[in-house]
Amino acid sequence: MHELFLTLGFGIVSAAILSLSAVAFTLEYAVTNVANLAHGEILTVGAYAAYVVHQSTGNIVLSALAAAAAGGLIALAMQTLVVNRFVRSRAGTMATFIATLGMAFIIQNTLVIIFGAANVAYTIPQGAPMQVGPFLWTSTEIEIILSALAITAVLFVIITYTKFGKALRAVFQNRELARVTGINSGFVAAATWLLAGLVAGYAGFILAESVGTFTPYFGFSFFLITLTATVAGGLGKPFGTMAGAVIVGMALVFTGGYISASYNLAFAFAILAIVILVRPRGLFTKPGRSMFE
Amino acid sequence: MISQFWAQYLISVLTEGAIFGIAALGLNVIWGWAGDFDLAYYGYVALGAYMTIVLTIGQPIPPAQFILGLQLPYPLAMIGAVASSALLGLVVGLIALRNLRGIYFSIVTLGAVYVLYVFASQYVPLFDGYNGVYGLINAMGDVLNIPFNDYPYYFVAFCLILIVLVFLFMGRVSESRFGLVLRSLREDERAAAAFGRNIYALKLKAYVLGAAVGGLSGSLLAAYLTAFNPSAWAPLEAIVLYSAVLVGGRGNIRGVILGVVMIFMVIQESTRFLPDVPGHPNVIPSLRLSTIGLVLVLFLFFRPQGLIPERRYHYHLPYVDSEPESDTQPPTEVVTTSTGPVHEAPGVSRASVPDILVVEGLSKHFGGVAAVDQCSFRVPMGQVTGLIGPNGAGKSTAIDLISGFKLPDAGTVTFNGVNVTGLPPHRISRLGLIRTFQTPREWPGLTVLENVLLAKYEPRQETLLRSLIGPGLGRHTIAEADLLSAREIMTEFGLSDLANERAGNLSGGQKRLVEFARIRMAQPKLVILDEPMGGVNPVLGERMAAAIAGFVTSGTSVVVVEHNLPFIERVAHQVVVMAQGAVIASGPFESLRANQSVIDAYLGDEVGV
Repeated sequence: MHELFLTLGFGIVSAAILSLSAVAFTLEYAVTNVANLAHGEILTVGAYAAYVVHQSTGNIVLSALAAAAAGGLIALAMQTLVVNRFVRSRAGTMATFIATLGMAFIIQNTLVIIFGAANVAYTIPQGAPMQVGPFLWTSTEIEIILSALAITAVLFVIITYTKFGKALRAVFQNRELARVTGINSGFVAAATWLLAGLVAGYAGFILAESVGTFTPYFGFSFFLITLTATVAGGLGKPFGTMAGAVIVGMALVFTGGYISASYNLAFAFAILAIVILVRPRGLFTKPGRSMFE
Repeated sequence: MISQFWAQYLISVLTEGAIFGIAALGLNVIWGWAGDFDLAYYGYVALGAYMTIVLTIGQPIPPAQFILGLQLPYPLAMIGAVASSALLGLVVGLIALRNLRGIYFSIVTLGAVYVLYVFASQYVPLFDGYNGVYGLINAMGDVLNIPFNDYPYYFVAFCLILIVLVFLFMGRVSESRFGLVLRSLREDERAAAAFGRNIYALKLKAYVLGAAVGGLSGSLLAAYLTAFNPSAWAPLEAIVLYSAVLVGGRGNIRGVILGVVMIFMVIQESTRFLPDVPGHPNVIPSLRLSTIGLVLVLFLFFRPQGLIPERRYHYHLPYVDSEPESDTQPPTEVVTTSTGPVHEAPGVSRASVPDILVVEGLSKHFGGVAAVDQCSFRVPMGQVTGLIGPNGAGKSTAIDLISGFKLPDAGTVTFNGVNVTGLPPHRISRLGLIRTFQTPREWPGLTVLENVLLAKYEPRQETLLRSLIGPGLGRHTIAEADLLSAREIMTEFGLSDLANERAGNLSGGQKRLVEFARIRMAQPKLVILDEPMGGVNPVLGERMAAAIAGFVTSGTSVVVVEHNLPFIERVAHQVVVMAQGAVIASGPFESLRANQSVIDAYLGDEVGV
């Protein structure tokens, strides 16, 4: 029983990080209809920005803010410099998708040039483990969970209650119609990517904190898990994605805990393949609808 | 001494170029021709490399461990490697190509390659984990008595011979009917299915072929590197291969080779001699890789078709002096000249005519909505049947159900005496029932001539094997008789001048004509035309009415769905009226004018009686 709660506690931490990353990814998809293969690099950039700030100031809050800011900027740059241009020139989904792969590659290798390919780590103390109900968490882990909950709540309010959120949902439902009714879909897309970048950059920071060390490639491997969670929850659907993240995060922690963590990626993709084949629009949809109609 | 260095350098560049050239030619089959952006591709190269080594180097010496550990001669190991990659391609393709396209296909193949990568690097008994496998030194060197120092010269010659062979092979595929069919899948798979192509099987064939060629390049890579381990193939680095194919020109094998030269030789090699930055060993390789990423993005945006775009093939149309071969063709004057009423007596006695199509109790529900509900009607052979009804009556869904593009919930479709309910589209098409779509579905990247040529399904001519055997370097699979009838049909529809134009560049009306020409070429027993007049000017309408009459003359029965009632009145012998998913009336057009339910449902709004 004790071990179960230990695993469960770790699962909650993973799910918290994963859901931030996945929600950001799904928001990017929602407004541009592009699965951003360079999403993982937003997390990586966030992690390195926090690393730089923490090295020079030693302040954790400043580091976290730097991660978010850097993530937001790089996402905004991706959107305005590349994705938006592809979408506007009607280059087609596939060309845009491949271009995001190119961006991932450029960013990874630029980071290698700047920081080298070796592992780096924050010098942030994890804090002593504390008993919270049945769970055992370090203070860093508690911060991760609480901040993820807070960010999720803010996103919920933005998407559900603000005018911007309404515009965002309208663009997702029908881009052309949204444009015709006077919504500036270009602005909505850019603002959404900025928002998603802020969240993903911060997710990169807490991911690096929780994993311990990172390299310029670490965002991409986490992206593969993000992809699984997002597709499971439904591409473009923020709340479905959060649920998908919790399910996938837990599934991975349990398979990792009881079988072997080395195969996490393989497990993630086994889940992904099954979900795509059985419910391509996400677990929370009716079965049998083809995505190609 | 210096010339010795340069000679070795040149050899290494040529060897690598040839190996990656082969890989790129394989990727081109999947991505360039069949049009599937396969992210798993590097996995097939890697598997080929691993397999080659474990098939040649003998049993592992503990603590090393890996599977097989045979001591086969290198050529046999190559065959084993190609077979393994093809087999893996088959498994991945069976899953991923079944109903996934676009980014979903790419995501699943990305998953597949990572699963392979994780197992290759974590599961030690497979290929010794991160250590990898090694020891394939100078493959066949001892058997052939090649001096150690000369080996690279022999090996580069071997690689160059192989890339020439693969290039010739791909050249044949590219020129053949098989290659043409693959490209038609990329351009529009629904249309390909409508004209009898088994999309899943063809895509799978292309995928396995590409994977096998990837395995071949992998087995060369293994012999070149003498060792293989996870750090030799980070899956994402396959992007170099994708850049090469994109930059050169997807679909064009010469372009692909040029792309390999540009990316692997020019960009890689020009950065090789940059001075190292002290203390930062990764700067130059990373600079090279980010440059390649940048080139990929820039090309996608500014020149997605690549440096040498896919060729528009020109076919030599044999010019023959009028007479001999035209006796198989229906008389063309009927079609081109008849502009008056198409039929004299619109109420031909129906009892004497057998039915080509019988639809009984056909139903299809989407959620709670019954799009087609207990729909039953008959289509007599050798006549034109109009299918009309208000928007949302279920006409298009009914066509999808009849032609196999959707599965019915209930009911039967009997075509020419055969129960075709639930058969896949290509099977129904091969039995002689061809349908068109509301919007023209031409194959935009293929020429008008190719569009017409491919309308005829030729099971024996369009196999991969057929393209490889024969005197015409692939061209022999495109029969002269077909070219002749295609030319005749294009003349009939006024398309001759556009024969070598890409169909995607035509106007809406011209695309409709291409569709009609394709039907003419296919000569089905029954054609279902879904709103052929949509967006067509009235002058062209004359021509289409004539063409429909021409279909009947040449033995094709016709069902035509149309909102243009005067057009229906003119061409149809009888009319079936649908409303709310069911047939509410049928008979000669005249008789329907008095039918109150028809007037209520439809005619009342449109013409007013």
